[in-house]
Amino acid sequence: MASRDHKSSAPPSIVDNILRRFCTSHLVEEILGDLHERYYLIEEKEGTVEAKRRYWREAIAYLRPAMFITDPSQLTPTNAISPAMLTNYFKIALRNLTRQKAFSFLNLFGLALGIGCSLLIFIWIQSERSVDNFHTNGDQLYQVYMRAYNGDELETSYRTPAPLPTELKQTIPEVEYASGFAKVLRLSQQGDIYEAFQVGDEKHKMKGSRAGTDFFTMFSYPLLHGTPETALSDPKSVAISRSMANLFFSSPEDAFGETMIFHTERGKQEVKVTAIFEDIPSTSSDQFDYLTNWDTWVENDEFKQFWGHFGTLTYVQLQANTNPDLVAEKVADFLTDYVDVPEGMNLRFELDLHPFSERYLYNNFENGQPNGGRIEYVRLLSIVAIFILFIACINFMNLTTARSLRRAKEVGVRKVAGADRRSLIYQFMGEAVLLTLLATLLALLLASVLMPWYNTLTEKQLFLPFANPIFWVGLLGLILTVGLIAGSYPALFLSALLPVRVLKGSLKFSTGNTRFRQGLVVFQFALSALLIIATIVITRQTEFIQNKHLGYDRENVIYLRLEGDLVDNYLTFKEEALRMPGIKHVDRSAQTPHQMGLSGSFVRWPGMNEDNPVSFTPSSVGYDFVKLMGIEVVEGRDFSPEFATDTSSFLVSELAVQQMGLKDPIGSEITIFGKTGPIVGVIRDFHTQSLHQSLRPVVLDVKEGLNFGTILVRTQPGMTKEALASLEEVSQRLNPAYPFTYRFLDDEYHTLYQSEQVVARLSNAFGLLAIFISCLGLLGLAMFAAQQRVKEMSIRKVLGASVSQIFTLFTKDFLQLVGMALLIAIPTAWLAMNEWLQGFAFRINLSWWIFGLAGVFCLGITMLAIGYQAFRTAQVNPTSSLRNE
Amino acid sequence: MRRSDLGEFEEVVLLSVAVLTPQAYSVAIAEALEEETGKTVTTGAVHAALQRLEKKGFVNSQMGEATPERGGRRKRLFTVTIAGSRILHEVQAVRNRLWNRIAPQGLPQINLT
Repeated sequence: MASRDHKSSAPPSIVDNILRRFCTSHLVEEILGDLHERYYLIEEKEGTVEAKRRYWREAIAYLRPAMFITDPSQLTPTNAISPAMLTNYFKIALRNLTRQKAFSFLNLFGLALGIGCSLLIFIWIQSERSVDNFHTNGDQLYQVYMRAYNGDELETSYRTPAPLPTELKQTIPEVEYASGFAKVLRLSQQGDIYEAFQVGDEKHKMKGSRAGTDFFTMFSYPLLHGTPETALSDPKSVAISRSMANLFFSSPEDAFGETMIFHTERGKQEVKVTAIFEDIPSTSSDQFDYLTNWDTWVENDEFKQFWGHFGTLTYVQLQANTNPDLVAEKVADFLTDYVDVPEGMNLRFELDLHPFSERYLYNNFENGQPNGGRIEYVRLLSIVAIFILFIACINFMNLTTARSLRRAKEVGVRKVAGADRRSLIYQFMGEAVLLTLLATLLALLLASVLMPWYNTLTEKQLFLPFANPIFWVGLLGLILTVGLIAGSYPALFLSALLPVRVLKGSLKFSTGNTRFRQGLVVFQFALSALLIIATIVITRQTEFIQNKHLGYDRENVIYLRLEGDLVDNYLTFKEEALRMPGIKHVDRSAQTPHQMGLSGSFVRWPGMNEDNPVSFTPSSVGYDFVKLMGIEVVEGRDFSPEFATDTSSFLVSELAVQQMGLKDPIGSEITIFGKTGPIVGVIRDFHTQSLHQSLRPVVLDVKEGLNFGTILVRTQPGMTKEALASLEEVSQRLNPAYPFTYRFLDDEYHTLYQSEQVVARLSNAFGLLAIFISCLGLLGLAMFAAQQRVKEMSIRKVLGASVSQIFTLFTKDFLQLVGMALLIAIPTAWLAMNEWLQGFAFRINLSWWIFGLAGVFCLGITMLAIGYQAFRTAQVNPTSSLRNE
Repeated sequence: MRRSDLGEFEEVVLLSVAVLTPQAYSVAIAEALEEETGKTVTTGAVHAALQRLEKKGFVNSQMGEATPERGGRRKRLFTVTIAGSRILHEVQAVRNRLWNRIAPQGLPQINLT
């Protein structure tokens, strides 16, 4: 024929094989004939490549249910789904389960573990997603954030000037409500304010904030007493939580309308309880026990009224049906009219809106836009959950298929007795769904039992949402999906068996069939290896961050707030504290070393290029700060009270020297905020923020009358308890109005990485479980292979093979599969982890040993799982297995 | 049993069977349709339509001869049944009646070359 003359090719044989396997026999001939004829026609017209491509398309177009079902014209009406047959199916399923207990256990337990794990993960994801999502006006709520362009540098944060909310509401008609919110702001995190309240003798430090009059109108925090409009309208009003009302008064009813004494930085004042709100749910990212009036706070502090001070949060609610993009455009240049940029400075501020409900999950800014953040962990764990479910499904499929060989005779008998293919498919699918149902029940049990442990792990209050109908619908969907996927291969494969072949003698799996199962094993192990590598990398990175030397010694450091009478009594406090046991150094500083957030180009130095400003992190400290924090002095000397001039001298970090381009830094005169003085020393660089941020140049000066910030205390190692007792004693004596509260620098540092830690723990736990599930499957397959090959091994043994030879023969196949899985997993893992690490300014290297370790671990585990089976097979006495031949 | 009397794709397939008889089988029909419409038509789609048509009783089929291009496999040849012929005529009549009722201004003018 013409089509065959010009070097004609053959249609892809793989398609033919698949079709031949699954397609019902009465259609195979015409379909394959059509496909081939069409192939040569297209090849003649458009070439081989096009023909091959079209061949796949043509074949896929044939994928219809009718392809799998026996010729309807030859169907005899059967009682496939009669009650009697259903009981029979059920009975057979149960008998099969109980007959092979080890297999059934592996199969069920593996699947239950998989479903249980993904259930737990999805509950966590659900809770992460629900944060800040419960407000009725949620769609209209936005948080204002700011981009500060400082020359070429760009810094983005939520910090805005305190007068902004009121001004926005008055000027921009689309802004329906607006409220400020005060928090201690660090760069990476938002800290809370703790202040003392007093009623009679009852005195406690509570967590709270200031908020605008609109606050309760905008946000749906339910009020027990008071109305949203009046809750914060009075200048002396305070809204308190149910627990706070219970703490100070006996009940919320008694608290309403009462007065409390409120200790602020500016002394005592009387406030009146104008509203009581329900305790803030854990799904809110703002947590507070009380709120007081915003305007009073701003009016009482000139610094707060200053537009150039960025230190508070601004929430706005837009009018319904407003396009937020248009409003964002309007507010973009809003600050230009209000903020005076000092002459010669290349500073520009830009405002933008961030949907309030997204601020929790998308909490990272990149190039001035919210980009990623916690959402990446949510995604990461979603992938882990899906992987685990996948691995469990593959196990189930593999084990069921392997076991199905034993069911071949049953299929043969059923077919001879008149069962058609459809009823057999129903039977096997039904059985798989039934097993999945059992596994799911087991999984629910498992998840409930593990819940307390899981809550500690995630630091959340999670529970299985049994009351939620969507949960049940989802579960049902999961059961059907998993059951149908897991049951599909055995069902299609078994129902296609020919009774003649099955009933005549023993049936062996064809190579294609084995290949398919091997493919699944490879896939499953590749997923596991991927998870192992990810687990190692995430753990290592977390440890790296926790243990990285920060340039200062963060252990054995306690800090308290410089507040109340301590401001005036500081020197007495220091003197007395140093005489108490357990205390080594005491000093005050404007900021703690791990959260020196504020930075800007305030520094002037000789030879400075005005067009190219450098951002510095300046901080005011006492004389002992450098000594106390264990920061190394590289050049020059530390601050010392012996030099009277040190109140106007500076310490700078190495990076600062480098960025200023100073050849001989000691003695150079620099100016900050109008204060000019010489550099007396250069200190080693230290990290002023979390390791997500890169190092910043630091400039320190001494401020003798520092009246805000923190008191840092270094304790003698091992004497923390004594030191705390001493501090409490002195603090109570000198500052009786405030309850004694303190923090450990070390703990605070750890909270900077809380989300990383939780995710590291989660991925550790689930990574290990995924590997465990994979091994269960591998063990099952090894058991099956051992059963299959007992006779072969016995014959080899009779013919003179040694135990070790048989052992090698048996394990070789499996190790090859795992090796292949590693070849797939390692490059994929490298790419994925590399991407993840890019999010850290300081990160570990992806060294080869991580991948090596994962590989050795996978192979080792495989050896363990299979080794025992292999050993047993090799040990079998040939007479017992060959007796019947 | 019938889902609808005759689908649009089924209609053109059935017409093609009538056109191509006695050599009406899926590949020939797919080729003919591709040529007429200028769009890609898979044999799978044609096959599905033919199966439905046979179930509805509009076509009959029997196995025909084998050719080398088919790897020595036989093809299934289709012929239109009386019921098929009737439904085609009905469809045509409906269409004709509708066409005849279109007023001159009822359709926007297009220039047919």
